[in-house]
Amino acid sequence: MDKLASLLHTTPAIVWMVGKVVVVFLSVFLLASVWTWVERRGSAMIQDRIGPNRALLFGRWPILGLSQLLADGIKFFFKEDLVPEAANKGLFWLAPFLAFVPALMGFAVIPVGKSFVCDGVTYHLSVLDPGNGMGLLYPLAIGGLAVYGVLLAAWSSNNKWSILGGMRASATMVSYEIGISMAVVAVFMVSGGYDPAEVIKAQGHLPWTWYVARQPLGFLVFFTCMFAETNRLPFDFAEGESEIVAGFNTEYGSMKFSLLALAEYSHLMTASALIATLYFGGWQVPFMADPPVLLSVASFLAKMLFFAWVFVWIRWTLPRFRYDQLMHLGWKILLPLSMANLVFHAWRMSQGH
Amino acid sequence: MGVIVKKVELTWLDRTYVWPVLQGMSITFGHFIRNLFTSTAKRYTVQYPDMKREIPAGYRGLHELKRFEDGAIKCVACFMCQEACPARCISIEAEEFSDLNLSQGFQEKRPAKFSIDMLRCIYCGMCEEACPKDAIWLRKEYEVAAYDRLSMQFGKWNLMNTYAEADGKEQITQDPTPSVPRRTIAM
Repeated sequence: MDKLASLLHTTPAIVWMVGKVVVVFLSVFLLASVWTWVERRGSAMIQDRIGPNRALLFGRWPILGLSQLLADGIKFFFKEDLVPEAANKGLFWLAPFLAFVPALMGFAVIPVGKSFVCDGVTYHLSVLDPGNGMGLLYPLAIGGLAVYGVLLAAWSSNNKWSILGGMRASATMVSYEIGISMAVVAVFMVSGGYDPAEVIKAQGHLPWTWYVARQPLGFLVFFTCMFAETNRLPFDFAEGESEIVAGFNTEYGSMKFSLLALAEYSHLMTASALIATLYFGGWQVPFMADPPVLLSVASFLAKMLFFAWVFVWIRWTLPRFRYDQLMHLGWKILLPLSMANLVFHAWRMSQGH
Repeated sequence: MGVIVKKVELTWLDRTYVWPVLQGMSITFGHFIRNLFTSTAKRYTVQYPDMKREIPAGYRGLHELKRFEDGAIKCVACFMCQEACPARCISIEAEEFSDLNLSQGFQEKRPAKFSIDMLRCIYCGMCEEACPKDAIWLRKEYEVAAYDRLSMQFGKWNLMNTYAEADGKEQITQDPTPSVPRRTIAM
């Protein structure tokens, strides 16, 4: 670290910081694009199909269809970039970025591994060090911002299907954000802090002390709401392909569409990281009080990717909800459930558990 | 008359929605695992250019004009197929051949030209049904495509050779009988 820093005429702290930002965001970005492949192949297998397997790398290696990613990327780059005549041009251009950036930014506070000490300096494996005062409120707030991207894309397209999708997405977001917050408050309450490091430490290394075991109801509510938050089936009302053409991205093509799609997958990654951190002990390795750093990173990645896969898995299992069913579920079932969860845990804490 | 649809009573477990979701997920996961350990060649999908479906018997594909052992065309240019064709895609020009037959008091006919417009053909098999000599067959070849319209006009020699390769016969480009007919009947 010091050598690299002196080579770059800068301090080790800055190199470490920049390195973290690049590695974390780049890997989330890459994972998101790889997950489009996972989604396509996985859905194909679930539905007894084959999925993309024709694209060859350099015309020779099929590598399980992974080269389809490159082919799609190249295709998206070279497609005609159409902007509708009546669209609000500025917002139309801005919207994909507004959808993409918050999806990625939410990842900043999540620790991807155990902090370690090297030469008396503590290095934290999260972009923002613990004790930054925002803690897990930050990804939740940023996640709330993500709907602006969708709504802006919808509004600026000047298309009735788009606007329907955007409106439905924002209404969904409003309904489900409360459920998320209530469920998360119970976690914060029990762990005694809202910093991810504290939440992870409070969960310990034994699987039955993780919050999924201690607050199964809260986990269920949070997990369900995350589907609404990431706009994925069974709650993909922003897109609603069979109902409103393609929803908010009806008018989008080429790289802008690709960015919107990537935003969805980055959001999925962030959501799975949040689930892993909040309810599955983050980087904690089961039955290992003090795991090696690399093992803790692997553990976190395994948990995160598992939930990312569950997102895909559920998408290809369940049909889309009807809109009134969604509202019913959000306001009349999930919200009371998360409140009951909160009250129950408050009561338990008052009893000294 | 109304039909009374029996409503399914959901148990409380079903009404939680969580349990049925888990059941559904187990089904999809079963499919996933099963396909994960099956090679792509053995799945339901027939990967077309590499793999081809077995064509069922009675399939009506590209036509073939049948020939005798010596390579002479079986068709006697009776025009039955042309008449039967609902798409009007067959056109035949007949010719008469062999002096011997002429001297014996009748003329033997064969098509001088026999063309099928493959762009108009609907592969109904009526020509096959109508043929008294069993000279035209619709067989299993279905990849009929060309870059221009003219190549889709199949002539006599195209039609006689459509399955030559598949059957291991040689391609023929002329009648084994005298190639220049003595007399041509104007139809």
